[in-house]
Amino acid sequence: MVAIAPTQRFFPLRAILALAFASLFVTPALAEDPPLFKLVARDGVFTPTVIEVPAGKRVRLEVSNEGKTPMEFESRDLKQEKVIPPGGKATVTINAMKPGEYRFFDEFHEKTGQGKLVVK
Amino acid sequence: MGNALFIVWRESAEAMLVVGILYAWLRQRPDAAVGMRFLWGGVAAGAALAIALALVMLGIMSSLSGTGLDYFQLAMVLVASGLIVQMVFWMRRHGRTFKKDLESNMARNARAANWWGLLIVVAIAVGRETAETVVFLYGIGAGKGGIADLPIVLVLGLGAAFLTFWLLQQGSRVLSWRTFFRVSEIMLLLLAGALLVSGVEKLIGLGVLPALVDPVWDTSRLLDDSGRIGGLIASFTGYRARPALMPLLVLAAYWVIVSTMLGRVGRPSVSSTPPAKAPNVVRAPDSLPRAGRH
Repeated sequence: MVAIAPTQRFFPLRAILALAFASLFVTPALAEDPPLFKLVARDGVFTPTVIEVPAGKRVRLEVSNEGKTPMEFESRDLKQEKVIPPGGKATVTINAMKPGEYRFFDEFHEKTGQGKLVVK
Repeated sequence: MGNALFIVWRESAEAMLVVGILYAWLRQRPDAAVGMRFLWGGVAAGAALAIALALVMLGIMSSLSGTGLDYFQLAMVLVASGLIVQMVFWMRRHGRTFKKDLESNMARNARAANWWGLLIVVAIAVGRETAETVVFLYGIGAGKGGIADLPIVLVLGLGAAFLTFWLLQQGSRVLSWRTFFRVSEIMLLLLAGALLVSGVEKLIGLGVLPALVDPVWDTSRLLDDSGRIGGLIASFTGYRARPALMPLLVLAAYWVIVSTMLGRVGRPSVSSTPPAKAPNVVRAPDSLPRAGRH
C-alpha cells in the first residue's frame, strides 16, 4: 500500500495557486508612478470634458469636486465608481487601455456631467 | 426631478430584490418568526451601515482613508456575492430537507449560523447602495432648489421602492411558488454575478488584478451600459458593453461552477414531478396549504 502524501498529490494545484497569487503582485510592482491628469467637476460640469491620454499605459486621474454638491465619478468603460464630496478630491488609477474613447459621467448630475477619455 | 427619482429607485432596487425574495421565502416557512427577526435586523443594520458609509463618503467621518474605503467597498461586494449564492443553495436544500432537519439538533445549529449569514447579506444589500442614495439626497438638499425638493423626492422614491417590494410579494402569490422560486433563484444568481464583476473591476482599478485585454469587444451601439436601461441591466446581470478579459473569465468561471453545483444539489425543492414519482423526496413546503401564506 503506497500512501501518497497530500502535498505530493496536490502539488500541481498548489503550484498553480502560488503562481496565480504571486502574479497578483507583479503588475503593481512593475508600474512606476503613472502620469497624472486632472479633471475638475463643478455641480455637473466637467472641465475639461475631453482628456487625451497615451495608449497602453497606466495613468492616474485626479478628480476634484469644486462644486457645492457631492458628485459620483462613474465610468463603466474605465471601471471606476467614486463618490466625491464637495471640496473633495480623489485620484483613480486607470489601466493601460487600447486606443479609443472611454466615457465617464457624474452619476449625481447625469444630464450635464458627461465627459470622455480619449486614449491615443 | 424624474432623474432624481429614478436614481433613488434604482439604488434601492437591489435591496428590495434581496429583502423581497427572502421575505417571500421566509413567510412560507414554519419558523418564519425567527427568520423575520434576522431579516429586519439586517435591514436595520443596513440602514446604520448606509448612514455611516455616507458620512465617510462625504468626508464628515474620516476613519477610513481613500483606499481604505475602496477596500471596504470591495469586501462588501465580494461578501455579498458569496452570501447570495450561498442563500440560493440554502433555500434549495432547505425546502427539501426541512422536516428532516427539525429532528436533528446539528441541523438546527447550522440553521442558526445561516440566520447570521442572512442578516449580513441583507445588511450589505441595504447599506451599500443606500449610502450613495443618502449622499445623493444630501446633494439635492445642498443644491439650488434644494430643500424644497428633498422631501418630495424622498417620499416618491421610497414609494417607488416599496411598490417594487409589494410587486415582488404579489409575484409570489400570483405565480405558482415553483415559478416564483425559480425566477428568484435566477435573479439572485444574476445579481451575485454582477456583484462579482464589479468586485473584479474594483480589483483591477486598485491594481491588484490585471485587466488582461481591455476592452475585449464593444457592444455599446447595441446596448449601452451607461444609459438608463443598459445601466440597470449592467447592475443586475454584470453586463458590460466594453468588458475587460479578466472579469469576463471570472464571470464565465462563476456560471460554470454555480450551475455545476446547482445541478448536484438537484432540482429546486419544489419539483414539478408529483411526490408519488419521487419517493425519496420529502414533501416540499409548497405543498402546504396555501392559506398558510396569507
